[in-house]
Order: sequence, then C-alpha cells, then structure tokens
Amino acid sequence: MSEVAIVTGGGNGIGRSVCLRFAQAGISLAIVDCDVEGAEGVRDEVKRTGGNAEIYRVDVRNATEVKKVVDEIARRYGRIDILANIAGGSFYRKRIEELTWNEWKEVVDVNLKGSYLFCREVARVMVKQERGRIVNTASNYGVTGSAMRTPYCAAKAGIIGFSKSLAMELAPHGILVNVIAPGPTDTPRVMSRSTPEARLERAQREIPFGRTGQPEDIAEGVYFLVGPESAYMTGQTLHVNGGLVMV
Amino acid sequence: MRLKGKVAVVTGAAQGFGRSIALSFAREGARLVLADVKEDGINGVSGEVASAGAEALTVRANVSDEASVLNLKDQTLKRFGRVDILVNNAGIYPHSVTLEMAEEEWDRVLDTNLGGNFLCSRAFVPEMRSQKAGRIISIASGIAYRGAKGGSHYAASKAGIVGLVKSLARELAPDGITVNTVCPGIADTALPRGHRSEEELYARAKQIPLGRIAQTEDIARVVTFLATDAASYITGQALLVDGGSLML
Repeated sequence: MSEVAIVTGGGNGIGRSVCLRFAQAGISLAIVDCDVEGAEGVRDEVKRTGGNAEIYRVDVRNATEVKKVVDEIARRYGRIDILANIAGGSFYRKRIEELTWNEWKEVVDVNLKGSYLFCREVARVMVKQERGRIVNTASNYGVTGSAMRTPYCAAKAGIIGFSKSLAMELAPHGILVNVIAPGPTDTPRVMSRSTPEARLERAQREIPFGRTGQPEDIAEGVYFLVGPESAYMTGQTLHVNGGLVMV
Repeated sequence: MRLKGKVAVVTGAAQGFGRSIALSFAREGARLVLADVKEDGINGVSGEVASAGAEALTVRANVSDEASVLNLKDQTLKRFGRVDILVNNAGIYPHSVTLEMAEEEWDRVLDTNLGGNFLCSRAFVPEMRSQKAGRIISIASGIAYRGAKGGSHYAASKAGIVGLVKSLARELAPDGITVNTVCPGIADTALPRGHRSEEELYARAKQIPLGRIAQTEDIARVVTFLATDAASYITGQALLVDGGSLML
C-alpha cells in the first residue's frame, strides 16, 4: 500500500511541485488549500499521470477545520505517513508602522500557527503509528531577516524553533521533523509581481548560482526530507537557495 | 541509477564512511576512484564495487601530500578522462588534550583533514570548471560546531572545512559546481573506537534523540543525494546527519 501525504498549500507554487514530486514516487496525496480551483488543477494533473489525490478546502489558521480535516484524512486512508506544511507567504511589503495588527496576525498565523495546528493533529496519528515524517517550510529570511517583511521573518524563524522542539519531542516515536528553507523561488504568486528580467537581474546580483530557484528545486529538497535518504536527520533546516545564504 | 556514467573520486575510501559512499555511488551507476593511504583497504573495497557492477580505480594517495594528490588527479584523468564528483572524506582523529598536544600532532590533523580538502579540491576544480559542472562534498563533523574534549585540533580542522566549503561554493557557483558539507554525528566506525570502548560508543545512543548512533550508510545516503541532480540548487550548505544531536 502506498504512503499517504498531506500537503498544505498544495494547490499552487511550491506546494504544487511537491505534490507532483510525491505523486511521481507513488505517494497518495491529500491536497490541502484554501484555493479550491488551484487544488483541483493539481489533483487533475496528479490523476492524469496515474496518481492518487483528493482535495480538502481548509483555512490553516482555523483549529476546528484543521482537526476535522486531519480526522477525515486519517479515517479515509487509515494512516498518515507524511505531512508537508507548505502553505504560507509574505503577503505584504510594509514598514512596521504601516502594518496593522490584523495584517501581522494574518502572516504569522498562516505561516506559523497553521504549521503548528497541522503538526499537532497529525502528530496524534503518527505517534500511534510510531513513525512519520514532517517537513515545515521556513525561508532564508527566517535566518537573515528582511526589511519590510517583519511578520514573515518572525514566523519563519518561529517555524525553525518550533520544528527543532517538535523534533526532540517526537524522536522517541520514530517521527522525524525537518525544515525546508527555500530562497527566492519563481512561483506564480511571485512572478505575478515581477518579470523574468527583474528576477534574473536580482539573481545575478545576489545569488552565487546566478539564477532564482524553481519550485521543482524546492520539491526535490522536500522529497529528500521525507524519503529514506534522510532517515538519520531530524531537527535540521535544509536551505535550497543557490548559495544565497550559507548557514 | 542516478549517477550513471559519472566519475567520482572518494578519499579515505578504504573503510568507514568512504567505503559506504563508494558502494552507494556504485549502486547508482558511477565509476569510482578509490583513494586512501591504506592500499589493502581500497583493494578490498574495489572488489565490493566490482560486485555491485561498477568500475573502480584504486590509487594509493596521501591527501596531505601535494605530489600524491597531483598523482591522484593524473591517474583519474588518465583512466576516465573526466571527474564529476569529489568526496573529501579522508580524515584522522588522534586524541590529545590541548595542553599536552604535540605540535606535530596538531599539524598532522590540520594538514590531513583541512589541508587535504584544499589540495584535493584545488586539484580537481580545473577539470570540473572546464566541464561547467561538478560536485564537491566534504565530510566534516558535528564536532565542528560543538567541539570535543581531547579533540581541539580535530574540531578546528572540521570547522575549517565548513568555512572552506562556503568560500569555495561562492567561488565555483558561476561554473555550475556545487560545494557542500555533510556533518556526521558519532558513528559505528573505527574512528571513535580509537578512544572509546564498545560500551561507551553504544551508550552514546542514549543522548541522541533518534536513539542510535549512525551507521555509515546513513551518511552515504545523504552524500549520494547531494551528488544527484535533485540537489543541483543546493550549495554552500552543511547538512547535519546526527540523529538530532545538534540542531542548528
């Protein structure tokens, strides 16, 4: 029987590529997203290639919804092998005095609280199984900071601290918790606010490799962190950024 | 077969991590150059590589000796005409508290562990540059970050590797060469047995979140990942493979 993975934010961008990479490896997918249209598109892509996927519409900030959907997935498949928390985003570029409390909450809750809520519900299932893999998504900005992105950087740094603590708690149960930290990545959301020329100019200025990341680059890193090759790694952060940040 | 046709040089290939890395690469279709000062050891591993269906060249090499490293490069290019992957794994770990450490021992550890990385990387980089592709993977240690009583030279050499690797990653990125470090925790190899009993070695598992010391295959699998196309956008990074002992 194939492994079962929950991918949050699976309807777009990096999450979509993670779904496609997992499906290629024969993993059954529970695609979680608030964007139903995006999620349906990814589900259909997966099914066209002979994979197995279902979609679940969830606001990752809502504890009741998260619990309900994790219960439903656990019942449907009888197991959850992998949780990839990809849902997130920086949403705003604002100086702190311009940022409203609601905007701050939105960014911190989607990125950090959403990961916490999914980890909490899925961990209950994985502890019973005595095995499981969790990957949370940070960012190079979680380590370096970035002007005009205070809540995003706080949330991403928070994800690293949270994931290390969870890794310690869950290690005795055979559950590994690691973090993927993408650098600047050409997702549709990012590209809608930029141009290929501007991205290339930035990459050549800042990134040793001279190009920005593709969602597929990140998906390979995530797949490594849920696969057999990383079986002795936990509490670690894998930076996939073409050398932009070396920690 | 993710490394089909690639030529990989592995230093310290006679035993431990080097042996497991070589065998893992062989199973992925790579052609191997096995380098070590221990000739019997690499001959044995060469036989294992052949059993896995891969080709291997053995070269007796001392990574801290410039002429020996140049010979390693020449032999490699003569036999295979190219090099795609370099694994800087050769290392030594004699035990001495700092105040009683002989200067000669300090030099030997730094020259082998850190200097060997420099010499081997320098030797193979021109070929990788001309190919506009290459992978350098250096084996450091969790001790680079946390230090070790009786191992100040070892810790200095391994932390030095992390700095060397980041700098090399920046220098070589424009040529499509990635440079990364794998940092193992305590492992089931000969190296820690130099200063620990079997009981002490396995008792360390209690302090490790995942509850066991590393097997050489745990490290080899991560090195293999870094050598494949899947890791082509990862450079300048240090991956701790230590069962959660350190989380940085």
